[in-house]
Amino acid sequence: MSAQPQAQEMIAQGRRIGEVLLSVEEVSLSFGGVNALTDVSFEVREHEIRAIIGPNGAGKSSMLNVINGVYHPQKGTIRFLGQPRHDVDTHEAAAQGIARTFQNLALFKGMNVLDNIMTGRNLRMKAGLLAQAIRFGRAEREELEHRAVVERIIDFLEIQAYRKTPVGRLPYGLQKRVDLGRALAMEPRLLLLDEPMAGMNVEEKQDMCRFVLDVNDQFGTTIVLIEHDMGVVMDISDRVIVLDYGKKIGDGTPDEVRGTQAVIDAYLGVSH
Amino acid sequence: MKRHLPIIILIAALLAGLAAPLATGASAPGFFVEVLLGGLMAGVLYSLVALGFVLIFKASGVFNFAQGAMVLFAALSVARMAEVMPLWVAALLGVGIMVLLAIVVERVVLRPLVNQEGVVLLMATLGVSYFLDGFGQSVWGSDIYEINLGLSKAPVLILRNVFQGGILINKDDVAAAVVAVLLVVALALFFQKTATGRALRAVADDHQAAQSVGIPLNRIWVIVWSVAGVVAVVAGMMWGSKLGVQFSISQVALKALPVVILGGFTSIPGAIIGGLIIGVGEKMAEVFLGPVMVRTFDLAGGGIENWFAYVLALLFLLVRPEGLFGERIIDRV
Amino acid sequence: MATDIGTLDTFPKLLLHHAAVRGERPAIREKDLGIWQTWTWKQFADEVQILACALAEQGLGRGDHMALIGDNRPRIYAAMCAAQCLGAVPVPMYQDAAAAEMAFPIQNADIAHALAEDQEQVDKLLEILPQCPRLAHITYDDPRGLRHYAQPQLASYDRLREIGVEAQRREPGFIEREIAKGTGDDPAAMFFTSGTTATPKGVVLTHHALIDRARAAAEMEGLSDSDVVLAYLPPAWIGQNIFSYAQPFATGYCICCPESAETVMTDMREIGPSYYFAPPRVLEALLTQVSIRMEDAGRVKRAMYLYFMDVAQRVGGAILDRKKVGVGDRLRYALGDVLVYGPLRNVLGMSRVRVAYTAGEAIGPDLFKFYRSLGINLKQLYGSTETSVFVCVQPNGQVKPDTVGPAVPGVELKFTPQRELLIRSPGLFKEYYKNPQATAEAKDREGWFHTGDAGYFDGDGHLKIIDRVKDVGKLNDGTLFAPKYLENKLKFFPYVKEAVTFGDGRDRVCAFINIDMEAVGNWAEKRSLAYTGYIDLASRDDVGELVGQCVERVNADLAQDPELAGSQIHRFLVLHKELDADDGELTRTRKVRRGFIGERYAPLVKALYAGEASVHVEAQVKYEDGRSGSISADLKIRDAKTFAPAAAKRAA
Repeated sequence: MSAQPQAQEMIAQGRRIGEVLLSVEEVSLSFGGVNALTDVSFEVREHEIRAIIGPNGAGKSSMLNVINGVYHPQKGTIRFLGQPRHDVDTHEAAAQGIARTFQNLALFKGMNVLDNIMTGRNLRMKAGLLAQAIRFGRAEREELEHRAVVERIIDFLEIQAYRKTPVGRLPYGLQKRVDLGRALAMEPRLLLLDEPMAGMNVEEKQDMCRFVLDVNDQFGTTIVLIEHDMGVVMDISDRVIVLDYGKKIGDGTPDEVRGTQAVIDAYLGVSH
Repeated sequence: MKRHLPIIILIAALLAGLAAPLATGASAPGFFVEVLLGGLMAGVLYSLVALGFVLIFKASGVFNFAQGAMVLFAALSVARMAEVMPLWVAALLGVGIMVLLAIVVERVVLRPLVNQEGVVLLMATLGVSYFLDGFGQSVWGSDIYEINLGLSKAPVLILRNVFQGGILINKDDVAAAVVAVLLVVALALFFQKTATGRALRAVADDHQAAQSVGIPLNRIWVIVWSVAGVVAVVAGMMWGSKLGVQFSISQVALKALPVVILGGFTSIPGAIIGGLIIGVGEKMAEVFLGPVMVRTFDLAGGGIENWFAYVLALLFLLVRPEGLFGERIIDRV
Repeated sequence: MATDIGTLDTFPKLLLHHAAVRGERPAIREKDLGIWQTWTWKQFADEVQILACALAEQGLGRGDHMALIGDNRPRIYAAMCAAQCLGAVPVPMYQDAAAAEMAFPIQNADIAHALAEDQEQVDKLLEILPQCPRLAHITYDDPRGLRHYAQPQLASYDRLREIGVEAQRREPGFIEREIAKGTGDDPAAMFFTSGTTATPKGVVLTHHALIDRARAAAEMEGLSDSDVVLAYLPPAWIGQNIFSYAQPFATGYCICCPESAETVMTDMREIGPSYYFAPPRVLEALLTQVSIRMEDAGRVKRAMYLYFMDVAQRVGGAILDRKKVGVGDRLRYALGDVLVYGPLRNVLGMSRVRVAYTAGEAIGPDLFKFYRSLGINLKQLYGSTETSVFVCVQPNGQVKPDTVGPAVPGVELKFTPQRELLIRSPGLFKEYYKNPQATAEAKDREGWFHTGDAGYFDGDGHLKIIDRVKDVGKLNDGTLFAPKYLENKLKFFPYVKEAVTFGDGRDRVCAFINIDMEAVGNWAEKRSLAYTGYIDLASRDDVGELVGQCVERVNADLAQDPELAGSQIHRFLVLHKELDADDGELTRTRKVRRGFIGERYAPLVKALYAGEASVHVEAQVKYEDGRSGSISADLKIRDAKTFAPAAAKRAA
């Protein structure tokens, strides 16, 4: 085990945390008078792994859905790459380079693993409808190029054995991996992971942790993740945001957050 | 096995009914085959219309009540334009009109109503349906128009060696069948083999996830409505050449409703097979069951063609609501 | 003793030969990113030479050792040959070995150079670095996750290659000269035998030994450069090394490396190997998969499968052996081939298999027959690391489920009075590395290798291995008693999980049986037998009878064998608890510890031999949740039917 900690340190040193990629400024969101988020502000820097934690109903998923364009906040500004955005839709957010995975798997059940991940390349396909329909020159070439990218992702996630398997038939842990693969295929600037380890056993969690860290390390992808497993969060995140009842009650490195009294009261103290 | 029992009984009953005229000697083999073929040809046309329904339902979860009206509108447009230009140009222009219609429908109806209840969207398509019926008359007139595919209307006698007296068959029916098969193959390839097809399937599976990988729903809606429009052009031309372009087309096209109930709302093969079953079933019932009703029960016996499909669909709804090939859960409509 | 293998007496010389003679033919394939990538013999040879230059640059020289740790990858095999070019000895290691297990070979052989497949292997090597200070050069194939590792010992394969290209440019012709220096008597590779009991021993094999045996078997089976092999077992295992290194070098055939361990089935279907090896456990797993699929299949399909498998069981083996079979059965088999066997072979990826071997452990006759009846030419062989694998092979048409065939040309066999098998063969190992004492114990002055296996020749001169010599005993009347052989025969029945036989120094053979909870449980459910748990199930009369039938079938089988007919099982009981490694009754590798069990359950053994009808037990048991408790039960002891020896019958 002597080599392990050494390697970890080097990763931390080798990764350069960069400029602010996403900033959330005083965002409030409510549904029919119920406040889901109240004046939440934070920023996410390039190349970092940022976790959002909090008890159930704290507004974590809502926050992710706001970043991702599913919900449009009533108040506040979101800047991505320095530009303020107004009421972007999900697919526009995707086009800006924001990809996500889902807490409850949202794979395309009727398709196999390969096709599922290929959909992640959709934004990068340029050939026209007609060219595709007759598989003419450019469309054919494009399909092959994208397939090569997808193959690298399949290799990266170690799911070579399941290319042609309909996703519905895969065990849960592997479906989660395909979900991640589909998001990775977009080559996103910002990757949102909604409870990537929910419902997994210890071994699957370890695998997923490794993939998340590898994605961050090898592709330099900035990651925002929601996670329940505190051990996981503290291990892999650079900075943590704590939400409670839609309000931010803590923000900092895992160690800082662990020490904040409000956080201990609201979350860490409460056993789950 | 138990779950399948009712449907097996139903299918067995249908097959028995099909075989009955032959088995009881009520029909000469040649005539039987002739009726059967006639039914299949009609079924192909039902299938085409049903295909439009299924495409739109799969991709957007909208039950498009306007499909019949789209067929009539397409047929009207082609028929009237063909009076001043070659048919193929008219057909191409017809396709253009249907794409335009798709864009308008998406802009004016679907986009504002996104995320509304299924029944709201159903009402909206009902509106589209009546609008198209009326608008078609306003623009193109309300007479009966002709579409001439250039095929001779005279039936041909075939298989004289096999059956006594041979079998009468219409050339344009055969053409319709061939075109329909080609169209289905093309659609299947489009769905399975192209990136856009993949995106369509993705949207059909999961809207939210599809959007999150950057597939814009609006564009997909335009595409499926356009494809359904193309199918409507083809179906409209076929019906039009057979019956003349008139208001009753949109009524006939409503037969697609029982067809999709039979085949399953989400299944393309289901739409095709459902169409064939209904086409054959109602022809057979009309020709062979009708006389039996007259003889045995002293009833008038006519009009079976009008209700057969709906009764059959009702039976299917009772024993197998998801249809022959549909997914088991339908949460919309 | 040494046979002449010609001037191409080392692997590097063979490599250059193939590069010259069949340079454009495929040598090695690997599925990477979904596409099969091919190295021709020419490319393979070029890669090997570049690597050799680099390794020489790093100080690897004649007599040095190099560790290779990884799955089947072209680069691992290239490194193997590159080391051999320099007269160094590659030491392949099991990729699933723990770091601590790797330390011994590395220290033992003073290893300074290693090629590791990926981060996992690198981490292990780094972990043992403090104990292995000589290990100075660790090259890794897959850079994933290693980007931030800064240990000075580490270098990527690409970096190594750069060094090689540079060195080769500086001194062209160097490698050719090095290769020419090698001779057949040089050590070609060293394989560490798994040391479950003692420290591992490094088995040193020469080029001559490996090439000679590879050729002898290749000639026997008519292998050529058009054959294809899927390399899917660990390269550190001598068998895999023979099939994916020695034999391709001997004949020029192509090996294919699967994409990953999970894709082996798919890759095999894509490749369609013509020459195949699988240990019994792999064959068993494949059969289980087929059975599960058939359970799930529709009624018609299942009925068809059962019907035609029945036909195949009856006549499939005979047809494969070109024996006489009636026209009706031939037609039925032909139909079955179209409907069932062909598709099944295709699913298994065995459509093109001409020769398939199994070895390593005893294979159940039903399992063996299943594959043969499908028309797959599965045969057994006998060999070990020390003998370069090929000692005995079943020739085509002479395949039996319980022997391993006659000696391969070049091999001499004989038995000691204790029935230990001795082997003399050109394929014998040179020595155990740095262990002259062990070498002397295993290989006597006349060159006979003492296998430690007990066996005899059957009527056709085929070798039959029954047990380890140290476990073989004698009944009081002098009859041979081979406990493991009997226990294996019992365990081939799905209902029997473990069996322990007693008989050494006694009048008759008796046995303890452990039922297989799952198989017997299923059997009971099908008959609507309710049961509360293992003890309840094991004590059922129906279950006792079921086990009794298994014992009787074993007895009937034993009666056919003149040597073993006397060791039929007379009495048995079904044990009240499952034998468990935690209780010391099994080893960690699930071998029964006969002596320990005999002592622990002495009253039961006594009752068996005393002729009692039942015996009362009270025993301490540990439950799964860690609690312990005691159980008490009356165990029934049953007599099993025995049969008159067949030889005696024939004589009468």
